[in-house]
Amino acid sequence: MTTGQDDPLRKLIDCIFVSHQDEAMDCESCGCQLECFAEKVSAGANLHDLWPDVEAHLACCPDCAEEFQALLCILRAERSGQLDTSAGR
Amino acid sequence: MTDRTNEQWLVDLTGSPEAQSPALEDLRERLQRGIFYYLSRERSDLTHLPAVELTRMAEDLAQDATLRVMDNLGSFRGDSRFTTWATKIAVRVAISDLRRARYKDFSLENMTAEGDLLPASAASITGSPEPGPEATTERADVMLKIQRALDEDLTERQRQALVAMALQGVPLEILAERMGTNRNALYKLIHDARRKLRAHLESEGLSTHYMLNLFEDR
Ligand SMILES: [Zn+2]
Repeated sequence: MTTGQDDPLRKLIDCIFVSHQDEAMDCESCGCQLECFAEKVSAGANLHDLWPDVEAHLACCPDCAEEFQALLCILRAERSGQLDTSAGR
Repeated sequence: MTDRTNEQWLVDLTGSPEAQSPALEDLRERLQRGIFYYLSRERSDLTHLPAVELTRMAEDLAQDATLRVMDNLGSFRGDSRFTTWATKIAVRVAISDLRRARYKDFSLENMTAEGDLLPASAASITGSPEPGPEATTERADVMLKIQRALDEDLTERQRQALVAMALQGVPLEILAERMGTNRNALYKLIHDARRKLRAHLESEGLSTHYMLNLFEDR
C-alpha cells in the first residue's frame, strides 16, 4: 500500500532527498537555454544523456520544470502538425 | 507562405513598417496558437473554462508576449529556432500570469500566522488509515526528526521558503516576490537548505535510500 502524493511527510522527503546530490545549475542558467533543451528533446533527444545537470535541476525546481514541460508540449504539438505553424494565411 | 528563417524574422521584425507589421502579426498569431493549445490541453486547472474564455486569455497573453519578445530581440542568440525562443518567452508570460492569479491572496504572514505547520501534518500522518501501526510510528518518528532538523539547521527564511514550496506547492516566482528577492536567489537559498537538511538527517542514520523507501510497498 502506498500513501498518496499529497502526504506532507512524503512531500518533504521528496523535496529534501529527491534532488540530485551535486545539482549545481540554477534557474538563470537553466532558463536562458531552456529553448535549446526543449527543441532538442522535442526532436527526440534524451535530456538524461545530453544534459544530466538540466534534468537534475528540473527534478528539484518546480518552476523551471513547469515552464519546460509547457514549452515542450507546444513544440511537440507543432512537430506533429497539431498546430498550424505556417506564418501567413 | 513558408516559415521565415531566423534571419528573416529578425530582418522583418526590425525592418520598415511594411515588413514589420505582417511579421508582428504572424508572430502574435503563432504565439497565440501555442498558448491556446497549452491552456486548453495541458492545464487541468482551466478545464472548467469555456473555449471562448480560453481564446480571450490566449489573445491577451499573446499580445503581452509579442511585446516582450520585441523588447528582448537583442538577447536572441540564435541557438534555437527564433520561434522556439519566442515561444519560451510566451510560455513564461502565460505561466507567470496564471501563477499570479492563482496565488493573488497568498501571503507569508497568513502562512506563518497559521502557526507551525508540521505538528498538524504529523497528526495527519498518525491519523492516516493506510499504513499499519508499525509504519505509522516509524513515519511519525521520521517526521519528528525532520521537524527538528528544520528548526535547528535552517534560518527562518529558509524554513519559510522550503515549507511553502514543498508543502503548499507555492511557485518560487511567487515566493520570491513576497520575500523581496528573485527566483534565482530563492532557488539557491532552498538548495542550500535541502543540503543542510539532508546532511543532518543522514547523520542521524536516515539515508536517502531509507527515506525514499519509506513509502514503498511493505
Ligand atoms: Zn529553476
